[in-house]
Amino acid sequence: MVGSKKKFHAGWMTLAYIALIAVAICMIIPYIWMLSSSFKLNKDVFSFPMVWIPDNIRWQNYVDIWTRIPLGTFIMNTVKLSVIVTLLQLLTSSFAAYAFAKLRFRGRNLLFLSYIATIAIPWQAYMVPQFIMMRELGLNNTHLAIIFLQAFSAFGVFLMRQFYQGIPDELCEAARIDGLSEYGIWARLMLPLSKPALSTLTIFTFVTTWNDFLGPMIYLTKTELKTIQIGLRMFISQYSAEYGLIMAASVVSIIPVLIIFLALQKNFVQGVASSGIKG
Amino acid sequence: MRFKKTMGIGLTAMLAAGMVAGCSGNNGNSGATAAPTAAPTNSSSAPADKGNEPVTLKWALWDWEATAYYEPLIKAYTEANPHVTIEYVDLGSTDYMTMLSTQLSGGADLDVLTIKDIPGYSNLVKQNHLEPLNGFIGESGIDTAAYGGTVEQIQVKDEVYALPFRSDFWLIYYNKDLFDKAGVPYPTNDMTFDQYEEIARKVTSGSGADKVYGAHHHTWRSAVQLFGILDGQNTVVDGKYEFLKPTYERILKLQDDGIIMDYATLKTSSTHYSGVFYNNSVATLNMGSWFIATQIDKVKSGESAAANWGIVKYPHPEGVEPGTTLGTITSLAVNKKSAKKDAALDFLKFVTGEEGATVIASTGTIPAIKNDEVISSIASIDGFPTDENSKEALNTFKTYLEMPMHEKSADIEVILNENHDNIMTKNTSIDKGLEDMNKRVELVLSN
Amino acid sequence: MQKETTLATGKSNKPFITRGMKDHLVAYSFIAPNFIGFALFTLVPMIFAIILAFVKWDGSNPMNYVGIDNFIRLIKDTTFHKALWNTVVYTIGVVPLTMACALALAILLNQKIVGRNFMRTAFFFPYVASLVAVAAVWNFIFSPTMGPINNLLHTITGIPIEDLPRWAADKDWAMFTVILFTVWKNMGYYMVIYLAGLQGVNPELYEAAELDGANGWKRFTNVTIPQLAPTTFFVLMILVINSFKVYDIFINLFAGADNQLNDSTRVLVYQIYNTAFRSLDYGYANAMALVLFLIVMGVTIVQFRGEKRYGQ
Repeated sequence: MVGSKKKFHAGWMTLAYIALIAVAICMIIPYIWMLSSSFKLNKDVFSFPMVWIPDNIRWQNYVDIWTRIPLGTFIMNTVKLSVIVTLLQLLTSSFAAYAFAKLRFRGRNLLFLSYIATIAIPWQAYMVPQFIMMRELGLNNTHLAIIFLQAFSAFGVFLMRQFYQGIPDELCEAARIDGLSEYGIWARLMLPLSKPALSTLTIFTFVTTWNDFLGPMIYLTKTELKTIQIGLRMFISQYSAEYGLIMAASVVSIIPVLIIFLALQKNFVQGVASSGIKG
Repeated sequence: MRFKKTMGIGLTAMLAAGMVAGCSGNNGNSGATAAPTAAPTNSSSAPADKGNEPVTLKWALWDWEATAYYEPLIKAYTEANPHVTIEYVDLGSTDYMTMLSTQLSGGADLDVLTIKDIPGYSNLVKQNHLEPLNGFIGESGIDTAAYGGTVEQIQVKDEVYALPFRSDFWLIYYNKDLFDKAGVPYPTNDMTFDQYEEIARKVTSGSGADKVYGAHHHTWRSAVQLFGILDGQNTVVDGKYEFLKPTYERILKLQDDGIIMDYATLKTSSTHYSGVFYNNSVATLNMGSWFIATQIDKVKSGESAAANWGIVKYPHPEGVEPGTTLGTITSLAVNKKSAKKDAALDFLKFVTGEEGATVIASTGTIPAIKNDEVISSIASIDGFPTDENSKEALNTFKTYLEMPMHEKSADIEVILNENHDNIMTKNTSIDKGLEDMNKRVELVLSN
Repeated sequence: MQKETTLATGKSNKPFITRGMKDHLVAYSFIAPNFIGFALFTLVPMIFAIILAFVKWDGSNPMNYVGIDNFIRLIKDTTFHKALWNTVVYTIGVVPLTMACALALAILLNQKIVGRNFMRTAFFFPYVASLVAVAAVWNFIFSPTMGPINNLLHTITGIPIEDLPRWAADKDWAMFTVILFTVWKNMGYYMVIYLAGLQGVNPELYEAAELDGANGWKRFTNVTIPQLAPTTFFVLMILVINSFKVYDIFINLFAGADNQLNDSTRVLVYQIYNTAFRSLDYGYANAMALVLFLIVMGVTIVQFRGEKRYGQ
C-alpha cells in the first residue's frame, strides 16, 4: 500500500519534471536563438541544421547597430521616460493615497470614487480624445505627453491606498502627538513602512513604461524622440533583411529589463501575487 | 549578496543619470513650442551679413538619413542665401502624410512642407493647411509647362497648392549576373506583360535558400494593381474595378507558381524590396525610379551584392506604346499659417525650379523638371549601368499617376489598400474583393 | 512657511483659516499633484470621448454634430465587424488556453522541485520582455521557408516546405499563431497569480481529503479547484479584458512595415487606431472606442457581482 503510493509519487514527480523541463525549454529557446543569431552573419542566421554557437563570433553586429540606427538615443529616451514616470508615479500616488487612507476631508469618497470608476476603463477607449487634447496643448511629439499619459494612473493610488489602510491609525496618531506634521508623517513614517508596495509599484510602472508601444507610437513620430520599442520596430521595417543586426538590437533592448527583473524578482512575484489576490 | 549590492548601486546611478538627462530634456520640451525646439538642427547656418533679416525655415520631410538630396539642396540654397537657416523636421516615412496633417492641425510652426502623395495632399487642401500658389506662380513667372503636365494633375478647382520637385516613374530593375547564369536573354525596353511574365518564369530557379525568384512585386498596392491602368481606359477613382481582375489573376498565378515571393510572407517579415535585390534572390524588380540612387550608393558601399545590374522600361499592355508607366510626384507646399511665407515661397521656388532640379539630378534622383540634359546627367553618374538600354529606359512615353487627384482619394485609397491586402493574402477571392471595392467606393463617391 | 506661522499663532489673532479648513487644505494638497494630472489627462478625455462619438470631425475643419450616425455606420461596417469578430475569436482562444497552462504550471511548481526558482523566472520573463524583440524572434523562428520550425517539420515529416503551414503569413494559421504566441508570452504572469492562490489553500483540507481516501485527481477536483475559485475568476476577468484590448501583439506579428492588418488579423483597437490616426475620422473612431468601453464595462460588472459571491 505504502509502496505503491511511493511509486505513484515517484512517477508523478518524474512526469512533473519532464513537463516542466519541456516548458522551460520552450520558454528559453527563443532567447537563445536570439542571442546566437545576433553573433552571426545574415546568411548564417537561417542555416539549417541550426548552429547554436557560430564558428566565427561576429561582434561587429553589436558595433554596427549603434551607427545604423540611433539606438543610443532610443535607449536614453526610454530610460529618461521610464525614470521620470516612475518617480512621478511613486511620489504623487503615495502622496494622494496617504490622504485617502489616513485623512478626513470633504469630498474624499467622491474623489476616490472617481479613481475607482476609471480604473477599469481601458486607455484604448479614450486615447483618441486624449491625443486631441495633448495636441491642442502643443504636446504632440514631446516626451511630456508620454509622461503625463503614464504618470498619474488610478492604479498607483489604489495600490498605495490599499497598503496604507493596512497600517494602523494609532501609529499616525502617535506621530501627530509627537508633533509631526502630516507631511512629516508621510515622509518619515509612511514611506519607510510602505517599501514593499513602493517597490511593486516601481517595477510595474518602470516595466510598463519601458515596454509601452501604442503610446509612443501615437505621440512620438520624430526619430530623435522615439523609445526603444518603436525605434526597434522602425529598424526592423527599414532593415528587414539584416537578421543579425535585428537580433543584436533585440538583445540590447531586452537586457535592461532582464537586469531589473533578476534584481527585483522577489518583489515582482510578490507584487503580481498580491494584486492578484486583492483584485 | 555582494552582487545585489552592486546591482543596487548601479541602478541608483542609472536612475540618477536618467534624472539629470530627464530634467534637462524636459526643460526644452515644456510649453507649447515644444515640437519645434525638439527638432534637430543639423543644418548649415551662416552669419546674417548680407543685409537680409536672418530667418529660420522649418522643413517637414521624411527619412532624412536615407535621402541623398535633402542636404545638397539646403546647402545650395543657403550658400546663395546666407541669411536663411533651414531646419528639418523628420516625421518618418510610415504614415507621413497623416502625421503631417496631425502636426499642422495641432498648430506646429512648420514652414515648408514636403508632399508625399496625392491622397494626403488632397486631405491637406481640404483641411485648409496649404497656401494657394497661383498668385505666386504668376508673379514670379514660373513656367508650369516645364513640369511636363504634373502641375495640372494636382490642381484642385483651378488652384494649385504645391509644386512638384521630384517626378518618379516605374521601371524594371534586373540582375545581369542571374540572367547570365540562367542563360536567359536580358529584358528589353519593349516588353508586353506576357513577355515580362515569360522572362520571369524562365529565370526562376533553385529552391530553399538558393531560390532565385524571377520577379519581385513589393507589398504596395501600386506594385501590383496598377498594371491595370496602363492602357489608359480606366483610373482607380472611377468607382468600377472589374478591370483589375486580369492583373490580379496574373500576379496571384505568379505567386502560386513560386515565380514571385509570397505576399503574406513578405508582409509579416517586413521584407524591404531593396534587401531581396541586394542579396541576389530576385532576378527582376518592379520598382520606382527612386531606387536608382539607392542602388548606386549601396553597390559602392558593398551592401548590395547585385553589382551587375540594369534597368528597362516598364512592361506594357498589348498595343500600348513602350515607355508607358506609372508615376508618382513629390512636391513642396507652404504652410498657410507660416509666419515666414515669403522666405518659404522663395525656398520652394528654388527647390522646384531649374537650380533645384540640377542638384536633385546630381544625386541620381529624377527631378520634376525633366529634360534631355537632366536625363543625360543622371545616366552619366558614376555607378549608373553603362549599357544603352538602361539610359534609354529613362525616357518615358506617358506616365499615369499612381493615384490621380480626387477630392475623395484619401478615402478611396483606404478601401483599395484593404482589399488589395485581402486579395493578395487570399482572405477573399478576386471577385469578392473587387466587388467590395465597387460597393464601398461607390458609397464614398455618393457621399 | 508663512502660512504655517500665522496658523500657529492663530489663537490670539482671529484665525483667518479655521482648524478644520486647514486640515482640509492639507489633505487637498496631498491629493492635488496626482489628481490634477489624473483629472486633466484621464477624466477630461473620458468625458470628451462621449461627445466625440456623436460628431464628425477630421481634427481641422469645424466639428459637425451627427447624432447617432456613427453608430449606424458601425452596424453596416463589415470591416469593423471583422475586427470585432477576430477579437472575439482571439479571446476565446487565448483565455482558456492561458488559464489551463498557467494553472498546470502553478500546480507543478507548487511542489518541492529542484530548480523551482529558476523555472519560475524562466516562465515569467517573457511577460516583461520587450514585445517588439520577442515578436521579431518569433517571426524569424516561424518564418515559412527559412525558419527553423518549418525546416525541422520538413526534416521530420518529409512534407515539402511549401506545403507546411506558413504560420503568421497564412490566413488559416494566423490566429492560431498569435494565440500560441500570446499564451507563451503571458502565461507566466497568471501562473504567479495561481501560485499565490495555491499558497493560500489550507493544507489541512488536503490532509482531511487524504484521510477520506481521496486520490490525487479527487483532491484536485474537490479541494484545489473550489479553493482556487476566486483566483480563477479574477484571472478570467483580467484575461478577457486584456484580450479585448489587444493591439501591439497583432501589429508586431502581422502588420509589416506599413502597419496594415487584413481581414483575418484586424482587431478592434487596430480599427480604432486606423480610423482615428490614419483616416482622421475622429468621431467614428470614438464610436468604435465606445463599443470597446461597453464590452470591458460589461466584463467588469460581471466581475463585481462575482466578487461579491466569492468574496471572503
